[in-house]
Amino acid sequence: MTRVSRLAVAGTCAVAAAAMAVSVPAVAGALPFGIAHRIELAGGSPVAALAFAADGKLAYAAAGDELQGFEVATGAPAALVKSPGTVVALASSPEAGGTLYAAVGTPARLLFLSQRPLRVRSSVAVRGGPPSGLLYEPGEHALYVESRVGRSVTRLDSRSGKAIAVAHLQGAPAQMAGDGRGTLYVANTATDAIDVIDTDKMMGIGAIPTPDCHAPTGLAVDPVGRRLFVACGNGTALVIDTDMGFAFEQLPIQKAQAQRTVFAFHPGGPGGWKGGAFIAGDGPGLDAIRMNAFISYASGGSMPLSGRVTAMAVSPSAEQLWIAIAPREGSGATGSAAAVGESRQESAVHILALAGSGGGAP
Amino acid sequence: MSGFMNRLRAAGLCAALAGLALPAAHAALAPWSALAGKTVLFVTGGADSPTPNDDTRVARHLEQLGLVVHTVDAAAPASDADGTALIVLSSTANPHVLGDKYADTPVPVFTWNTYDYPNLGLTGPVLHRDFEVIDPTQHYADSFAVLYGYGANVTSEISRTVGLKAQLFGTLYLEPETAGWGRPGPGGTVIADFNGMSDHAAVFTYERQASLADGRVAPARRVGFYLGDDDFHLLTAAYGPAANDPNMRSWAIGLKLFDTALRWAASPPPAMPAYDPSALEATLRHAARGRKLLFVERKDAGEGAEADEHIVAHLRGLGFTVTVADQSDPQTMAQGQDLVIVSGTCSKWKLANKYADVSIPLISLEGLMSDTMHFSGYDRYVDYGEHGEERESDDPAENYLDIVGAWSPMAAGLKPGLVKFATDPGVLKWARPLPDAIVIATLPNEPQERAIFGYPKGARMAGGFVAPARRALLPLDNPTYDELTPQGSALFDAVVLWTIGD
Repeated sequence: MTRVSRLAVAGTCAVAAAAMAVSVPAVAGALPFGIAHRIELAGGSPVAALAFAADGKLAYAAAGDELQGFEVATGAPAALVKSPGTVVALASSPEAGGTLYAAVGTPARLLFLSQRPLRVRSSVAVRGGPPSGLLYEPGEHALYVESRVGRSVTRLDSRSGKAIAVAHLQGAPAQMAGDGRGTLYVANTATDAIDVIDTDKMMGIGAIPTPDCHAPTGLAVDPVGRRLFVACGNGTALVIDTDMGFAFEQLPIQKAQAQRTVFAFHPGGPGGWKGGAFIAGDGPGLDAIRMNAFISYASGGSMPLSGRVTAMAVSPSAEQLWIAIAPREGSGATGSAAAVGESRQESAVHILALAGSGGGAP
Repeated sequence: MSGFMNRLRAAGLCAALAGLALPAAHAALAPWSALAGKTVLFVTGGADSPTPNDDTRVARHLEQLGLVVHTVDAAAPASDADGTALIVLSSTANPHVLGDKYADTPVPVFTWNTYDYPNLGLTGPVLHRDFEVIDPTQHYADSFAVLYGYGANVTSEISRTVGLKAQLFGTLYLEPETAGWGRPGPGGTVIADFNGMSDHAAVFTYERQASLADGRVAPARRVGFYLGDDDFHLLTAAYGPAANDPNMRSWAIGLKLFDTALRWAASPPPAMPAYDPSALEATLRHAARGRKLLFVERKDAGEGAEADEHIVAHLRGLGFTVTVADQSDPQTMAQGQDLVIVSGTCSKWKLANKYADVSIPLISLEGLMSDTMHFSGYDRYVDYGEHGEERESDDPAENYLDIVGAWSPMAAGLKPGLVKFATDPGVLKWARPLPDAIVIATLPNEPQERAIFGYPKGARMAGGFVAPARRALLPLDNPTYDELTPQGSALFDAVVLWTIGD
């Protein structure tokens, strides 16, 4: 593993984006975030999941059967733990002095780890199929384990690991998000809708259609729980008012088949955006939706990337957005030198820690 | 033999009449399935359209509704509408290019081109008075107000299909938007308005053969809608769990209102009734059989006593079982009755508030009781008034009415325009009902002074009163019944027939 720390400024990315304008179907201006660290990972396994500790001081990456901890401030490695299987999803909570949850695909288990030091504390078997996603809801002391293969979401007690209930899904579940107030949303690529689950009963209570937004995969909800950010395969993103189930904003993004979405208020610190949703996957780059006001959104810019994004996490505490990048399939290890100002031609598995330019709205 | 033949003919007539339904307040909507495959002419600004705009979205939506969309620009000839089921006019089309080319087209028009409203005769010609477009640039504060509509009419087919209530609803999603309003003429029906002001109509309609604001007659249905260039996608709707929330479902109705108003426009209008007093009387005779009617009059009336006697005789002759009550008799007289008619001989002072809330249909022949009957507001000579009463009215005596709702059975098949109602000029009363009323006639040159109108059952009347049964105003001052022309008599019968037709 090598680490390159350099506090790139927003201008770096702007130049990079401009250089990529021909090959990347950029839909907006340059993303006003710069590279705080570039962390290269040895081993070649793509990063399946990223998570921040609640205080924003540590970040975790799951690659293959390794769980790695990093100091957010420096990008320096802080810990390494072996898992009994390939970790497919991570979540973090402040419970018990800081807990990291890791979903293992095969055998299907959920690991409970202490964060300082990073150690496996316990584990439980997971029913409902091999896990594919993990979500922690602090207000509910709940963990939601999604299985796309098993078409299910299992609710567990985040303290005991006890399974409480399972919701069975139809179609093709993709990313899930929760509002922390008893509602879970699951993107459904097969039905062009967001399935809505009542977490008390773990039962579906409806579906929100995603008009003009086909094959939704990426999904995030703001911490208030009233805005859903949806990324769709046809190059469209939606902002949905959850109280009405109404998609009131439609924005262009880059086309991709498997996208993830994350959202945070003040993602670049208090002087930056009021809020931002970030979208990336197997497309050519990273897109952002900027929250101007609670009812006003605009394209926040895009950033061409040298590979596909396999994981993302954002932390307002850390004031950073981390994205894990792996070589595109079939593309070898090549990438664009211009992409995000990276000086190296190869695009091995690595993590980019992005920070807002701060000091006023980008 | 001739007696036998008469009985035979009567039996045949009765059999025929038995198949006749009493007049409905409004014509039913066609199901979507009946409109599938119909062609819509969608007129936009084409290459000259302002951007951004939602025309592409609208076209796709219409196609999703099963319609075949033929898009043309504003300069296209009106003949492009030949054979189409509906013309849809976008606000992106330049109204000066559109002109009045579709005004006389016997194809329904659904438009959100507010500036084109006067060209179509939907409103008067004066900007800000007759129509207006509110936009965030010119009218930033008002552009928030148009995010809220008010259910002005709750009984039209559009209103009932949408579930429109006499309350606020969300028109467009939550950011200041562009929206237009119009002030339709008395032949129009205001479905929803802005700020609770019916002369700022957000959604309004004209039935075929209704009189337009400019005096012309609607050759087919017309609908004005509040949209701007690029806010179709912001028409409110509730999805997912919110769709199961009754409050949200009745709030977020913008898209449903659009769809339903469009469907109404494309639906077949009711058949225009023919002017045939004999057939009308025969129908009324059939409907009157077995019905009990309370006629409330001033029994010691001088001037109008004879006319009252003739009214009662006519009603009895039709087959009603008529009970005559004095104005001072208690309202309990209405118990067991099917219809109440309040004579113009009654004193407003003596009748007081009686019969206003009876649960059976009611006709008032006295326009000055419009306030007590909840027909209009309380401001005398503003909300209701009269022509021709010495020392009580500045307006001259009148004996003509202007038929503006010829499409309704209440109009007796009379053609739109002036009709001689009484033989000689005299007192004629009027009122300004709420938008739920179906307006049949106004005083000539006084479009705001509505002489004949009816409220359907469930209509929102003045003061928040909800009509427990049909209500109608037919202005017959004390002796006027005896002075009715044949057309006036036909209007009398038509109003009675409509009012008992719940």
